[in-house]
Amino acid sequence: MRAVRSTHPANLFLPRVVCGRGTKSVASLLLSLELVENASSSRGQASSRDSSSNPSISSGISIFLHCPELCKHLDSPDNNPDLPWKFSDTNKEKVKEILSHYPSNYKQSAVIPLLDLAQQQHGGWLPVSAMNEVAKIIEVAPIRVYEVATFYSMFNRSKVGKYHLLVCGTTPCMVRGSREIEDALLKHLGVKRNEVTKDGLFSVGEMECMGCCVNAPMITVADYSNGSEGYTYNYYEDVTPKRVIEIVEMLRRGEKLPPGTQNPKRIKSGPEGGNTTLLSEPKPPPCRDLDAC
Amino acid sequence: MGLGLLASRAMRPLKYSNSRVFIRSIVSKPELQSPEASSAAAATALEPDLPPRSPVGGARVHFPNPEDAIEVFVDGYPLKIPKGFTVLQACEVAGVDIPRFCYHSRLSIAGNCRMCLVEVEKSPKPVASCAMPALPGMKIKTDTPLAKKAREGVMEFLLMNHPLDCPICDQGGECDLQDQSMAFGSDRGRFTEMKRSVVDKNLGPLVKTVMTRSSVPHNFWLNRCVRFATEVAGVQDLGMLGRGSGEEIGTYVEKLMTSELSGNVIDICPVGALTSKPFAFKARNWELKGTETIDVTDAVGSNIRIDSRGPEVMRILPRLNEDINEEWISDKTRFCYDGLKRQRLNDPMIRGVDGRFKAVNWRDALAVVAEVMLQAKPEEIVGIAGRLSDAESMMALKDFLNRMGSNNVWCEGTGAQPNADLRSGYIMNTSISGLEKADCFLLVGTQPRVEAAMVNARIRKTVRANNAKVGYIGPATDLNYDHQHLGTGPKTLLEIAEGRHPFFSAISNAKNPVIIVGAGLFERKDKDAIFSTVEAIAKKGNVIRPDWNGLNVLLLNAAQAAALDLGLVPESSNSIESAKFVYLMGADDVDLEKLPNDAFVVYQGHHGDHGVYRANVILPASAFSEKEGTYENTEGCTQQTLPAVPTVGDARDDWKIIRALSEVAGMRLPYDTIGGIRSRIRTVAPNLLHVDEREPATLGPSLKPEIKSEMDLTPFGSAVENFYMTDSITRASKTMAQCSAMLLKK
Amino acid sequence: MAMKSALKSIRERGLGSFLRELKEEGFLRALLDGNLMQTKLHNRGATLVGVDKFGNKYYQKLDEQFGRHRWVEYAEKSRYNASQVPPEWHGWLHCMTDHTGDELLMLKPKRYGLEHRENLSGEGEEFIYHSKGHFLNPEQRDWSRYQPWEPSKKE
Repeated sequence: MRAVRSTHPANLFLPRVVCGRGTKSVASLLLSLELVENASSSRGQASSRDSSSNPSISSGISIFLHCPELCKHLDSPDNNPDLPWKFSDTNKEKVKEILSHYPSNYKQSAVIPLLDLAQQQHGGWLPVSAMNEVAKIIEVAPIRVYEVATFYSMFNRSKVGKYHLLVCGTTPCMVRGSREIEDALLKHLGVKRNEVTKDGLFSVGEMECMGCCVNAPMITVADYSNGSEGYTYNYYEDVTPKRVIEIVEMLRRGEKLPPGTQNPKRIKSGPEGGNTTLLSEPKPPPCRDLDAC
Repeated sequence: MGLGLLASRAMRPLKYSNSRVFIRSIVSKPELQSPEASSAAAATALEPDLPPRSPVGGARVHFPNPEDAIEVFVDGYPLKIPKGFTVLQACEVAGVDIPRFCYHSRLSIAGNCRMCLVEVEKSPKPVASCAMPALPGMKIKTDTPLAKKAREGVMEFLLMNHPLDCPICDQGGECDLQDQSMAFGSDRGRFTEMKRSVVDKNLGPLVKTVMTRSSVPHNFWLNRCVRFATEVAGVQDLGMLGRGSGEEIGTYVEKLMTSELSGNVIDICPVGALTSKPFAFKARNWELKGTETIDVTDAVGSNIRIDSRGPEVMRILPRLNEDINEEWISDKTRFCYDGLKRQRLNDPMIRGVDGRFKAVNWRDALAVVAEVMLQAKPEEIVGIAGRLSDAESMMALKDFLNRMGSNNVWCEGTGAQPNADLRSGYIMNTSISGLEKADCFLLVGTQPRVEAAMVNARIRKTVRANNAKVGYIGPATDLNYDHQHLGTGPKTLLEIAEGRHPFFSAISNAKNPVIIVGAGLFERKDKDAIFSTVEAIAKKGNVIRPDWNGLNVLLLNAAQAAALDLGLVPESSNSIESAKFVYLMGADDVDLEKLPNDAFVVYQGHHGDHGVYRANVILPASAFSEKEGTYENTEGCTQQTLPAVPTVGDARDDWKIIRALSEVAGMRLPYDTIGGIRSRIRTVAPNLLHVDEREPATLGPSLKPEIKSEMDLTPFGSAVENFYMTDSITRASKTMAQCSAMLLKK
Repeated sequence: MAMKSALKSIRERGLGSFLRELKEEGFLRALLDGNLMQTKLHNRGATLVGVDKFGNKYYQKLDEQFGRHRWVEYAEKSRYNASQVPPEWHGWLHCMTDHTGDELLMLKPKRYGLEHRENLSGEGEEFIYHSKGHFLNPEQRDWSRYQPWEPSKKE
């Protein structure tokens, strides 16, 4: 039943929950639980399982309602259209600079850079009033901005930690153990996926392939702790469950650590322990005299 | 037409089975592989004895520039079409109906449903015909195995996530998806996974959403409603949210659809994702009887079809009329029908001495009315026609009161001193479809969005297409297109007339300027001065030319134009104060405050609305859905209603009541049939007999005598306070009450 | 044998409670009601298969001629009829299935449906069915498709 609590963020239209390694829809889960309840009550057996299953289901549904990828805005005290939101003065300069890249009659082309800037300024996520502000700047209806913001998974529409840790879940990383890495992170931080730690420092999410398959598995750290000026988005590759916890602790202490591969025996994406092939100078192609060209 | 077309298609192979046409329609593989051979076969098949095909739906081809005609071949038929046509349009001209979902002729092209795939020779893949421009010499094939297989495959994908709930779906029976999956789909499905489900949205009291039905891959078609809302209705509320299988149509933030055209998304949705909320689960479309009639809730006269079951109006749908409403209607037109079933007057009633109404029979009611009427002095008799009256009853009322010696007959809403002499002074001279040629609008004291939503849609279309400028004088309002709010009253008008205002140069520089004056100004005391100022602007701005008449009046009520044509003009402007006998023919919005207390009021109408509370006698009449009547719309186009349902209770047609009353009063009117009245109308206003024709005004305002009076500088008011409740039918409607409660609150 | 067990129960519980039991079980009525008497006699040596929620008892005796081997003794002793058998027992009683009503209830979780009610025809006016438009139907439906204006409101 523990697994019921962790909602898979990618599958929300059929509200699905992760059960161990497989997924199962909430509907079928509810059905099976109902049958269990039915059978147990009709046979007059102990209902200890019922009492444990009900809260887990309700928590699963509440996660579904606040799921970050839900295409619907739910008003909350820190996210509603009545909150004022403005770009900071330094970012206003950047907005001007971004808008100057586009013709004045195609201002709406700036929607993605502006949303990105707004997200960096607002600690890693976009409240609805920030999207409204962007819509006002590029002079389109707010729904056009919502469309873009809901389309791209890189725009977070609910709160994230100052360090947003994104674990790559695509096949090569998965084969190389990304699930263990995610489990280790979640266990270490004591949160569920897409949940923010109590101190507001960390949150863990999943993303799709970032093109580092040769150094799989990898995580990305989006650092929103210093606003849009000190914003970084670094890859940490060749991580192990032990290493990611070290990375988290270093980040917590505010230490800098070099991005890239975490395997000391590798240089960038080269093989472990140095090159083993292609050691000599490459020969020119035999068929054509390059100097003659 | 559908059956006939099917039959003719079925017949063709039999009829021409010995010619090459039949053989050619089966395309074998070698021909597909060698385009030369097949083109040769097609070339030889071009014979003059091919059976002629007529375009789909009687479509007409208009060549703006004859040199730009190109020739294409559709299934081997040579065809001349103008440049810029799409392949799909070419096929329609050739009489081949291409299946489609996302394509709609009045919306922008999306090209994402892929249902309209056809084969084009020398093209490696099937082509989405709605988005592909036709090129000279293109050889289009619509019924080859390749095209059929492509459609079947697309259909299977489209049905992948569509729920199989046709038995409980309101669209069942009139669903594009049902029809096309029957015609083009496979007879089995291979999809065994779970279907997607989506949470329904609340779009307000009119449109019901079942979002799961729109959850086809990538939300292919619903896009139609997004495009409609953005392009035609002008409200940017709907959007496509999310991505991939999680994509859905929504508003993101909780929002109702605040458009006066929102009902049209019901028609435009090819599946059952958007259906009518008031009509939900009320009837199946095959149980309904359609009656093609017109709408009377505003002065546009939108063409509608009333669908009725037995004695009950079940729903109202638009009918295509390119000159008036295209294929849209306003929400008021579409959803007011439940007002036809509530608050109906069904028995003649007389108010007793205790002030209570008592139901009586017609004989007694008419006898009482005639007796009182004969006792009144002729100049004390007043007749007022209501805003929903048809021309026949107004003619009968006028004739009857004239015979009684009174000349005080008018129609409500035309003001104290209406100008009925020059027809150009009260109709839309440009015509509604003519507005599309305009490039500059000046709206004087009119808010077309609430007064005539279809005219507003036309102006919006023009603004989008030609970037026309719109200047507006009146109280601040939202017109759902870009406009300059020039001012609120006659002061601004005067500035423009004297050329001091910057918008004057916009008018005089425009090629086809249009000035629209609201009929709400008829009620003002200084209306003559306002109209002469407007005419001065028109003269200076070159608005009226031999080839262009841009000076318009936008009327408010369905009865107004016909009333003015028939000359329903009061003899004296203060006849109400001295009246002893008032005949209200459905007039609810007349100010009866000044009426003497001993005056006798007869209310003849169909709803227990404002008018009945002062009445002494009530005579029940039939509503527009129950009678045959002539109406003239604001552009001067005459149209007729047809009875869709029987009248309620003991109600009778308006003109019949007046005819019967005239006999009881001893002043028998000389007509007994509706034909008789119409021949009487011919002598007064012959244009009211030219049904479905727009009769332009023959004389311009130049003949008008010069009026020297000062304008009152009080700002213009708004003529319609509540778009959803303007007459007795809409005021009785529960749906309209819900709309005004939910949508108009700010 | 029957006498012996009867005497035993009198000895155990006293004569008064024995007689009350006899009355409740319908033995006194069986003297007048041959049908009930027949059932009571039949019950001897049969196995009681189950009791439904109304208290009807279902018996089976496989020595009997096939078709007469299952029967019911109604809980109601004075006014009984076949409609008092609930649907879950109907199949067993009519040899459509060998699952008893209790088993069927366990097999199929009940999700919706009305509670079983016996047929009360002939038991009084209130049990007579009147159609939607019948004037005796207290919820008689109004078939008029419009709502007339009521002149009740005085100005």
